[in-house]
Amino acid sequence: MKVISPTGERVDLMTINVGPSHPATHGTLRIFAALDGETIAACATEIGYLHRGFEKMVEQGTYSQVLPYTDRLNYCSAMMNNIGFCKAVEKMFAITVPERCVTIRIILSELSRIIDHMVCVCTNLVDLGALTNFWYFFNVREQVYVIWEKLCGARLTNTVTRIGGMYRDVYPGFVDDVRGVLLKIETAVGEVRGLIEHNKIFIDRTKDVCVVSASDAISWGWTGPCLRASGVDRDLRKDEPYYGYETYNFDTVIGTSGDTFDRIMVRIYEMIESVSIVRQGLDRLKPGPINSPDARVSLPSRERVYHDMEALINSFKLVYEGVRPAPGTCYDATEAANGELGYLIVSDGGTNPYRVKVRPPCFTQFAAYGDMLTGAMLADVAASLGSINIIAGELDR
Amino acid sequence: MMVKKSNVPDGPMLPGLSLDQIVTVLAEKFTVVRDASDQWGLTLVAPAEKLRDIMRFLRDEPTLQFAMLLDVVGVDYLAYPGHRGERYAVLYPMKSLTFRHRVTIKVTVDEDACVVPSIHELFRSADWAERETWDQYGIIFAGHPNLKRLLNHHEFVGHPLRKDYPCQKRQKLSINDQMLDQLEARLRARGYTILDHGESHAGTPITDASSVPSLGTVKAGDKL
Amino acid sequence: MTYKNVPAAPAAPEIDLGSSFVTTRLDAVVNWGRRNSLWPFPFGTACCAIEFMGVVSSVFDVSRFGAELVRFSPRQADLMIIAGTVTYKQAPVLRRIYEQMCEPRWVIAAGACASSGGFYDCYCTVPGVDEIIPVDIYIAGCPPRPEAFLEAIVQLQNKIDKESIREQKTVGI
Repeated sequence: MKVISPTGERVDLMTINVGPSHPATHGTLRIFAALDGETIAACATEIGYLHRGFEKMVEQGTYSQVLPYTDRLNYCSAMMNNIGFCKAVEKMFAITVPERCVTIRIILSELSRIIDHMVCVCTNLVDLGALTNFWYFFNVREQVYVIWEKLCGARLTNTVTRIGGMYRDVYPGFVDDVRGVLLKIETAVGEVRGLIEHNKIFIDRTKDVCVVSASDAISWGWTGPCLRASGVDRDLRKDEPYYGYETYNFDTVIGTSGDTFDRIMVRIYEMIESVSIVRQGLDRLKPGPINSPDARVSLPSRERVYHDMEALINSFKLVYEGVRPAPGTCYDATEAANGELGYLIVSDGGTNPYRVKVRPPCFTQFAAYGDMLTGAMLADVAASLGSINIIAGELDR
Repeated sequence: MMVKKSNVPDGPMLPGLSLDQIVTVLAEKFTVVRDASDQWGLTLVAPAEKLRDIMRFLRDEPTLQFAMLLDVVGVDYLAYPGHRGERYAVLYPMKSLTFRHRVTIKVTVDEDACVVPSIHELFRSADWAERETWDQYGIIFAGHPNLKRLLNHHEFVGHPLRKDYPCQKRQKLSINDQMLDQLEARLRARGYTILDHGESHAGTPITDASSVPSLGTVKAGDKL
Repeated sequence: MTYKNVPAAPAAPEIDLGSSFVTTRLDAVVNWGRRNSLWPFPFGTACCAIEFMGVVSSVFDVSRFGAELVRFSPRQADLMIIAGTVTYKQAPVLRRIYEQMCEPRWVIAAGACASSGGFYDCYCTVPGVDEIIPVDIYIAGCPPRPEAFLEAIVQLQNKIDKESIREQKTVGI
């Protein structure tokens, strides 16, 4: 493409597609760049290659049938999506889940956050050429997967929560298993930090690459680790705490410059903070019920169903129709691994959700990516794209 | 530059206004009505022609400072039992980073005109979110620089999240969008002058209902 | 030390060629080479790609089967593993990449979405990747366990064993 550059010279730009099938694009994204040598003069991005119709599909089934679809949004930390959706529906019913359920949800959330950050960091480092970290982190992920499998039968797409509680209580031995895996997580994070934190190649490739200022990040609607890396100290767990996060002792990790280095290191330090939260959660785990006793969402016990007419009808209606929240519009958000994961649910009082809109955190981050890349070099695509943690399942829904 | 004042919060989050106080602050300047359908938070129904002013006020007013637009959500009330009023609505959940309060602005959209002013200059997060709402619902955002398909492919006809679009109606794609026009627009915005276009699929940005292309909009009652 | 009753080595060493030849069939040796050196092209789109990353990692170790070298260029790979949902937007891309692969080439459709569209029965997903390209092995699961991936590779290897280089492989494209 022949152009005249802003400085007045005639340049022949080369147009190149990065994606939608590309090892560095972690999913199906497309960056259509015009290159002036190695520098990207401008680029246009395209998404939708994994648009699977989440929002249309969930209108076809009941509220409980939405849960498997939510797993596949951010599939690296599937439990956080489950918890986010259940929390939104429970808000519509105005019920609080029992304390044991809350603590378990926090433990599972933070462990999911850790494994999500692990995937983000290690695949980003693979793009930079640091392959060893991939093995270190994936070994630990496998051990967390063993725990997930013992807990609910599935490694990746867990669907572990139910509206009003959990699928089932944790298995005996869960606490010891999690304590064991936390030690392995700490070891792996230490090893990876040792490999990259003071590594000149890593620093040169990521320092001052694709800098996003705090003001731009807020205007673009960034949340989560990417916003915190730009220096904005906002975390839903601290600002609008839910599930008792205000009683946990942890720090939010704030970056300084908003470059790729900060975005990656913020995630690594957040893993350490999450380990601390999980330990505190395990310490305060007490025996108790796991599901809310509210008859609108939870099945009554079998003994009551066999002897009591109302319980039988309640059980029948819940199994055949599912839950029915009050009609209205409700927005609720949790601090997922990538940022604020919001669900806006419109209910018409019936058994099927009328509208479920997911507010994916990485949507706003990739919307900014075209502007982030302008003026950067082609090699910076590999470095910076991983740092904003695009999960295509969440981006395209 | 988009934001005149700095939108970066300094210091910890301060307690926000109560929901009634937010309504009071807004009601002094604009006619907003509290939406009864949101029993769990604050949703305010605002007139579409005042949307830009309301959004600017929400963002810049010192007691409110709703610095972040989280999302642009379209809703189609065609199948909603007992719904009276316009067919579509667009919801704008917003949050403040300075104060601990949130609000959702709701704009009802007429089925025939189907136009809402775009707020992409006020909040850059509206850029893609409005594109997605156009893609899924067919609601035109007047003034949007690049109102094109975002999630569905460029040969898709219709707006799939509308209630009268059958869920299983598949549409094949023959060849991917070249995107040369979007790239050239970005180059021009950076000061480049294009001499040789190459293969360019001209795509006109849609700014009002009269320039809507003949393909692509499905209305209620259309046979699909 | 000398051992008794062991014949001495011949004075003039004549190279004994007899034991350095192996007799086989052409098909057997070609298939042996192909099955044990499958180079996957992971066409990973969604969640199954994360499980594929687990297959490649140390715990499940696909390199035991010779398929360790993932090559992200279709020209350098012979096994395309479609891991994840393919949408109609992605379909021309998939088709083009498949056409760029050189023969011999095989395709594994990993997961429910690639095999049949999964539970996304809606306007945007391709109901099974075999609408677009020919598939050799389907893996069920959502996502399939890494052992299922390995079983698929083993089944593909058994399938390759039965091939012959005299057959025309290309289905009319």
